[in-house]
Amino acid sequence: MNPQLPHLKSSTILPIAAGTLCLVILLAVIGPAFSEWGAEDMDWNAMETPPSLQHWFGTDVVGRDLFVRTMHGARVSLTVALIAISVAVLIGVPWGLVAGYMGGRTDQLMMRIVDGLYALPVVLIVILLVVLFGRNQYLLFAALGALFWLDLARIVRGQTLQVRQSAFIEAARGLGASIPYILAKHVLPNILGPTLVYVTLAIPGIILAESFISFLGLGIQEPDTSWGVLVADGVQTLETSPWLILFPGIFLAVTVWSCNTLGDRLRDRLDRRHQV
Amino acid sequence: MSRRAIAQFIFALTVALVPLADALSAESRILHIGNAGEPETLDPHRYNLRLEETLLNDLFMGLTTFDAQGRLVPGAARSWGTSDDGLTWTFHLRDDLSWSDGQPLTADDFVYAFRRLQDPATAASLAYFMYMLDNAPDVNAGRAPLTALGVSSDGPHTLILKLSRPYPYLLERLLYPTAFPVPRHAIEEHGDLWIKPENWVSNGAYVLADWQPQAHVHLRANPHFHTEVAISEVQYHPVVNEQGGYNRFRNGELHAIGSFPVGELDHVREQYPDELRMSDLLSMMYLVFNTSAPPFDDVRIREALSRAIDQRVLTDKVLRSGNKPAFSFAPALIDSYNAVELAHASEPFPDRIERARSLMQEAGYGADKPLNITLRHVAGLEGKKVNLAIAGMWKQIGVNTQLHQADLRNHFADLRQGNFEVAWAGWVGENNAEHYLTLLQSDIGNVNYGRFALNEYDRLIDQAQSEASLEKRNQLLNAAESVVVHHHAVVPLYTTAVRRLVSSDIEGWYENPRDMHQVRYLSWGR
Amino acid sequence: MTRYLLKRLTFSLITLFAVITVVFFLLRIAPGGPFDGERQLPPEIEANLKAAYNLDEPLYRQFALYLGRLVTGDLGPSFRQKDFDVNELVSRGLPVSTALGISALLLAVLAGMAVGTLAGLHPGKPLDVWLMSLSNLNLAIPTIVAGPVLILIFAVFLRWVPAGGSGTFTHFVLPVIALALPYVAAVARLIRGGIVSAGSEPHVTTARAKGLSPGRIVGFHMLPTASIPLISFLGPAAAGLLTGSVVVEQIFDLPGIGRYFVQGALARDYTLVMGVVVVYSTAILLFNFLADVAYGLVDPRIRAL
Repeated sequence: MNPQLPHLKSSTILPIAAGTLCLVILLAVIGPAFSEWGAEDMDWNAMETPPSLQHWFGTDVVGRDLFVRTMHGARVSLTVALIAISVAVLIGVPWGLVAGYMGGRTDQLMMRIVDGLYALPVVLIVILLVVLFGRNQYLLFAALGALFWLDLARIVRGQTLQVRQSAFIEAARGLGASIPYILAKHVLPNILGPTLVYVTLAIPGIILAESFISFLGLGIQEPDTSWGVLVADGVQTLETSPWLILFPGIFLAVTVWSCNTLGDRLRDRLDRRHQV
Repeated sequence: MSRRAIAQFIFALTVALVPLADALSAESRILHIGNAGEPETLDPHRYNLRLEETLLNDLFMGLTTFDAQGRLVPGAARSWGTSDDGLTWTFHLRDDLSWSDGQPLTADDFVYAFRRLQDPATAASLAYFMYMLDNAPDVNAGRAPLTALGVSSDGPHTLILKLSRPYPYLLERLLYPTAFPVPRHAIEEHGDLWIKPENWVSNGAYVLADWQPQAHVHLRANPHFHTEVAISEVQYHPVVNEQGGYNRFRNGELHAIGSFPVGELDHVREQYPDELRMSDLLSMMYLVFNTSAPPFDDVRIREALSRAIDQRVLTDKVLRSGNKPAFSFAPALIDSYNAVELAHASEPFPDRIERARSLMQEAGYGADKPLNITLRHVAGLEGKKVNLAIAGMWKQIGVNTQLHQADLRNHFADLRQGNFEVAWAGWVGENNAEHYLTLLQSDIGNVNYGRFALNEYDRLIDQAQSEASLEKRNQLLNAAESVVVHHHAVVPLYTTAVRRLVSSDIEGWYENPRDMHQVRYLSWGR
Repeated sequence: MTRYLLKRLTFSLITLFAVITVVFFLLRIAPGGPFDGERQLPPEIEANLKAAYNLDEPLYRQFALYLGRLVTGDLGPSFRQKDFDVNELVSRGLPVSTALGISALLLAVLAGMAVGTLAGLHPGKPLDVWLMSLSNLNLAIPTIVAGPVLILIFAVFLRWVPAGGSGTFTHFVLPVIALALPYVAAVARLIRGGIVSAGSEPHVTTARAKGLSPGRIVGFHMLPTASIPLISFLGPAAAGLLTGSVVVEQIFDLPGIGRYFVQGALARDYTLVMGVVVVYSTAILLFNFLADVAYGLVDPRIRAL
């Protein structure tokens, strides 16, 4: 029995989570096409109005359609998450691979660096960077990515260590295969699963971190938007215009929940396969 | 003692104690005020921010001061006079002045303070507020000794200020903390630590009792102030976000707050009709063009962009919080001055747009070649709303606008470095047009953010500044302002409305165009 | 063991030095200086200001000066809070942040244990499903939303606690809850997993067979085993709480050092930001070091080193 989360059959919840996620992505891509409003169009006659037939999710403080903006924000938030996680994968995976495979002093040094970075108030440094060097989307991606590669490096190193000691690697080395070849052919496939799980679980973290940075006013720039920006703005009008927090908030929460659930399930399956 | 006697005694004691307890609670009742942020310093010579002025006005008193309605009245000086050429001012001090430790306060203390402000060692960032004093810039740069400064005393109660050129607004300039006296004896004894509560000495209605950074500044009545005050204890709390301050006001934690979220106005009008205090702040919010580089060196582009902005839509539809649309660079609120309005202010809006479109075309922009602009503004809901709306208005004449927001400090740092195309700016100035119009002088320095430079304009301002007569000065300023209007160096947008909430427990609070409220004029109501 | 700890300690100090160096130079190469006020400064005055704060010295000298002071425990004057030095500010802000962080950590651990145990004892039952779904939902609500909603309900409408500020115990109630919420969920998940697997361990089965009361079994046999993963969770959690406190202090107007950090960074108060980073890093490194010590005590392989 899997001890992690046995309360709902994984066969029922996995499709729900995956389906919800797909639906959100689909809406983000084609949703705006259903509305007559653009993401930056202002309706001078409908400033901060509640949901109506004309504006399904209502309008924001300058009369822009919230439905279109929420969908637009979905695109940005998901793109930010994807780019940031790619950065994390691009640094973390090779780092862990090399450390785990080389072992010895190299491994020690590389993992010490990871330990050191772990001990930093990284989010504070991200805030510092954004404050000091201005709101630059690339900086935001890089900074968020840098937040998440450490875990990945540790996971990949652990897996690589395990694989390295197995018989077939010894055999490959005995046959004179080069290190990059061994890494690519034998080690990489074995770490794909755990990496995928980690990526799924990290995406909610990135989306939440982005909302955190947006709350401090350091996120995406207007007229562009993201869920983080929409939620941070919506909180300011919690009482007068609750719809401004409600709709983007629901989308954000549902997406974070789906990713978390999906990641949990994938991990369970992976664990089971390993045990078998 | 019989039981009855005991009961009587207890009764008597209770009767005696109740008023005592009442008195105690009235005595120790603390006024809690939400201030716009954390003060950086309470040294009047090192201060920088308006939110510090608020506190300093309670702690110190200059030669002139405000009354409850914000009007200029005698402060430490009971009367004054000026020479015919406007270059020598003589102030006669009150004879009952003393510091909060009981030491007498004399004209020499003012001489010391004016010199300390200009002393290079003080490194006062607002020293230039008093640069009209004779030799002040040289003293401040260390090129002349402190004694060369145009300030002297004639006996303990007479202070003489010598100016290098006429400055008819001197009495108003003396309202700023840069002209407040500081306690020489305390500074010489404690050095930089004189501002600590345990060493504190000042001459205002209150003294500093305690300062917990980011939590509160606690003031207590100064027993040596020349009149009694009704409220003896005050705490100023830094309120960084409007919603937080508003919540704390509603929860009874703060008696007065400086603003609340714009969107709550209708709700507040209903819920807190007696507590709501709206007033126009003597100020100007405007857009500034960087005229030093294309395309904004082209007056046609500037005019087109100016024409496309509907100030009334900004105030009435977008902000909806009582701000007044502005059509002139010097605020209409200024006394005895008739501001020059934009020529297109009275045209119907469709005509303005029509003309703006053709101006854009003349300048070489159109549907096939749209103008792309980055508009910079200060972070915050007000800045966001105003500038998004402006971007929307410009879209109507085919201009694409990208917004760039930054916090106040970085925003103005960018502006001063000329690192912008178009930007939202604001100025809270004195009650005279000069304080606004000099912002566009070519040699004023980097507060002329857009590097606007026009000989004709500079000449008019310079002529005005050498004029001692207020009337002639204003005529010349008027002429200068029409030059600005003609060249569209800036787009006036609106005059800020202050939206305060003041508890009905407090009496003596009057709205005024400076939005200055000294606690000594307030009292506890019912 | 001693050698192992010494190694870790040396490593922590190197890390701290690296952090200080990086942040120091980051602050200096950033555009805009600490004296960019709203009004313009004449060049003479700017020169005076810079001289007063040693900003006119070459960069390496400034760094050496800073390090020299730091070794003696002096974090320098604050550029922005001119009436205080950074030591004064940190010594006032740190107790607030520490109280907030430790209370939130305690609340998270206690509430998380309770929820996790309850859920873990009834795996698959409705109670479990509900508790765990609630925790999962909790993980999906950002603090920036939870904080204002808590204020609205408990301060503005119910008037049970203050809406912000500091001074009394009641001022801490909402911030602690807001900060702890996501960690309650995380702890609950950890504990629940441990309880479920502990249920089938031999010593628990034995205890049951001996007829011990369910309370004793859970308290003495299951929870201790289930709590072991918590040790490794506490390190990152402490770092996370520190970061979270930045936003919570901002939402609730609490005068902690997280607030100083944000205000200081926005105002380019070099020394204040440096001071907060030094204090934060030291705290996190110390926490990790203590975790290492705890691990060393638990794990014989490390003790042997």
